[in-house]
Amino acid sequence: MDVSSFLVQSLNSVQYGFLLFLVASGLTLIFGILGVINLAHGSFFMIGAYLAHWLQLKTGNLFVAIALGLPLSFLLGLAVERLAIRFLYARDHLYQVLLTYGLILIFNELQRILWGNDVHGVPIPAVLDASVPLNETQSYPVYRFFISLACIGVAAAMYFVIHRTKLGMLIRAGAANREMVELLGFRVNRLYALVFALGAALTAFAGMLSAPVNSVYPGMGEHILIISFVVVVIGGLGSIQGAFVGAMLIGFVDTFGKVFVPEAASLSVYAFMAAVLLWRPQGLFGARPA
Amino acid sequence: MRPLSRPLLVALIAALALLAVFPQFVERYYVQLATKMMVMAIFALSLDLLVGYTRLVSLGHAAFFGLAGYALAILQRDLGFVSLWTTLPLTVGFTALVALLLGALAIRTSGIYFIMVTLAIAQMLYYFANDTKWLGGSDGMFLDAKPTAEIFGLQLFDLKNRVTFYYFALGALVTSFLLGRMVLASLFGRVIDAIRCNEPRTRALGFTTWRYKLAMFAIAGALAGLAGYVGAAQDGIVNPAFLSWHQSGQALVIVILGGMGTLYGPVVGAFALIVLEDVAAGLTEHWLLFIGLFVIAVVLFLPRGIASLPLAGCVGRLRKRGGGAAPLPERRAAEAGDD
Amino acid sequence: MTEALLETRGLSKQFGGLAAVNDVSLAFEAGKVHAVIGPNGAGKTTFLNLLSGEMHPSAGSVWFKGRAITGLSPDRVARRGIGRSFQRTNVFTELTCFENCWIAAQSRLPSSLRFFRPAARRGDIGAAAERALDLCGLRARRDQVAAAMSHGERRQLEIAMILATEPELLLFDEPLAGMGYRESQEVIALLRRIAEKHTIVLIEHDMDAVFSIADRITVLVNGAVLETGSVAAIQKSAAVQAAYLGAEEEP
Repeated sequence: MDVSSFLVQSLNSVQYGFLLFLVASGLTLIFGILGVINLAHGSFFMIGAYLAHWLQLKTGNLFVAIALGLPLSFLLGLAVERLAIRFLYARDHLYQVLLTYGLILIFNELQRILWGNDVHGVPIPAVLDASVPLNETQSYPVYRFFISLACIGVAAAMYFVIHRTKLGMLIRAGAANREMVELLGFRVNRLYALVFALGAALTAFAGMLSAPVNSVYPGMGEHILIISFVVVVIGGLGSIQGAFVGAMLIGFVDTFGKVFVPEAASLSVYAFMAAVLLWRPQGLFGARPA
Repeated sequence: MRPLSRPLLVALIAALALLAVFPQFVERYYVQLATKMMVMAIFALSLDLLVGYTRLVSLGHAAFFGLAGYALAILQRDLGFVSLWTTLPLTVGFTALVALLLGALAIRTSGIYFIMVTLAIAQMLYYFANDTKWLGGSDGMFLDAKPTAEIFGLQLFDLKNRVTFYYFALGALVTSFLLGRMVLASLFGRVIDAIRCNEPRTRALGFTTWRYKLAMFAIAGALAGLAGYVGAAQDGIVNPAFLSWHQSGQALVIVILGGMGTLYGPVVGAFALIVLEDVAAGLTEHWLLFIGLFVIAVVLFLPRGIASLPLAGCVGRLRKRGGGAAPLPERRAAEAGDD
Repeated sequence: MTEALLETRGLSKQFGGLAAVNDVSLAFEAGKVHAVIGPNGAGKTTFLNLLSGEMHPSAGSVWFKGRAITGLSPDRVARRGIGRSFQRTNVFTELTCFENCWIAAQSRLPSSLRFFRPAARRGDIGAAAERALDLCGLRARRDQVAAAMSHGERRQLEIAMILATEPELLLFDEPLAGMGYRESQEVIALLRRIAEKHTIVLIEHDMDAVFSIADRITVLVNGAVLETGSVAAIQKSAAVQAAYLGAEEEP
């Protein structure tokens, strides 16, 4: 493999890694702070993609579509939290798995009812539809750079909110000691709803961003969900750092795996997960098991 | 595991008798449907051993269900084995071995991680089957013949006959149930009870708990393999859907719906859910939507399953004497050592 | 002179610069109740941890029935015949008293990976469990789920579980902690019954209890042995009184 191909694949890996990071950090935040394992997390990715597709058709502009789709996803996240997720706090993980599995079935069918079984594409906005030359032979799509930049922006904003704002402090406190935060007069319920909606919006945003490069199709949520599970398992549950490192590692393993071992492309990610687990069952940044 | 109370025993025997005479009175379609239910019942029963009795929530149990189906297909197609006496033990044995190997990896994790890892493992097998031409890719493989049951050239029974196959499946179900109860009543089963209630304390007593969990994982995998064998033999086809996580998810729903930690609960749950799905699919194309709502309703309103309903309660006080496991608390227990 | 059942020689445990247990050499006679007392922070629990294998000593050795058990894991120590109770009661709350004792007794088997025969047929395990329950006065509670019992009863169950493993030597870490008068009396009576056929090493703060059941008492201060002697000798000792009056006494 020559240098420019290596560069292209590395850029792809990073871009994929960033997308996975958005999804996985939503998942790990929801688990770390709310204590809920949310199988329907991938459904928000799908919802984001379908919203991007649908709104883009209506408005003709992907940016407008994203601008509209984000608040919609956030509201949907709030609704789901109030209607279903809030019954899961402090319940055994088994019931959380089952209820959110029911949610997946519902979301999948709703998607089919609304948009049917076809595979859709979302066009890249004209302003980003160009390529940056890397050397004489290879160039790289601008849109993919845009994805990475957007993700970096979101990640930075997330870091800022969590570590530098009062809201972030409340979130971290609520994760450590819910009762105490309640006793101090804060409405933890609202906090939880907010965190869940943020997690959903993050994932939906990833779905919207990736829609132009991957197609929009039924069942796409499940694929990303399982990969993000792998990311979180490798990185360690509850750790944003872990989600980042895990996402980047998977981004590289998957991308280069497809290049070098195309027959076993899908397996490389799981083989990598197995290897990490054999070495550290709690993940790279996870808390040591008792 | 506590011994079955007298009323419960009577109910189970009555149900068995009903199942035994059932095919004599109904049309072929219902015999086939009932066979399918029994396959799911065995599958769910095997999952109950993990979820209800050992508190290992596996979201990838379909891996063993599908694996067995593929093993049978390959034994037939590539090795020419058609006899029940060879294919059944080979399939179940192979599945048990794989369960032992994959379990050794999965058991290193616990709690949430275990759920996610089992899911990932099953997905790995799913993609492998889906992408591999030799396994038929997304179309899967056909099983040209039903297993034959001959001794010294004399045919004992003909599995091509739907009613005979039904009884074969029923036999497999009863065997699975009895095997499950035997294992749970053994010394091994006592340790499993302890692990379920308080794993750190069990370790403090000197038990190497991961070995017991792994053994249970392999046993459950083997029984799931039995279910997969019967299922594939019935359908005459095996495809990646056998390995899909919807298959795993459905089994989990059945276990909870029926009442986990009872072994007979999941059997009831399998019958209930399949009837429900059959009816719903007949009503609307989007029946999965209603199944999703139903699942949520079960979690919110009937978390202990059908086996915990008052009707079942009068058949025996399940918690203390009804042959069940001590129930899973709905609220997550505080950290270990809570008094 | 009777051979000591349990013996420590120069046993020490350092945590960084702090010597939690400092050069303790003690001999515990078979069939006797030996209490270890001392002000808070004297290193009593650490000492017990060193005996039971929860911790490894920095120096010194532990001998049981003439064989070294220094540094063995808690499980191996238990198999040699030493049982230990902890300050926090941790029983199997969803199982009955009998089932709790059963699993404790079963833990002494070389392997429980037995899948075929019903466990209930093992009369030997059942008998050990029943004996333990009887000794602890829990016969009436045999089929009661542990979750439904009071704290004091669960403490008794904890003791029964240790007895079910049929140890020769029992280590008790503050068995009376958190108990009211009546419960304490019951546990003291229980300890006396146990002492008839077992050797006991007991950490306890309740002085009345200690003086009423112990045969010998060792006083630990700052990780080192201040004095060892009979109950009468310790009660009269000026040095012991100084150590207690000079330090914090906890109720």
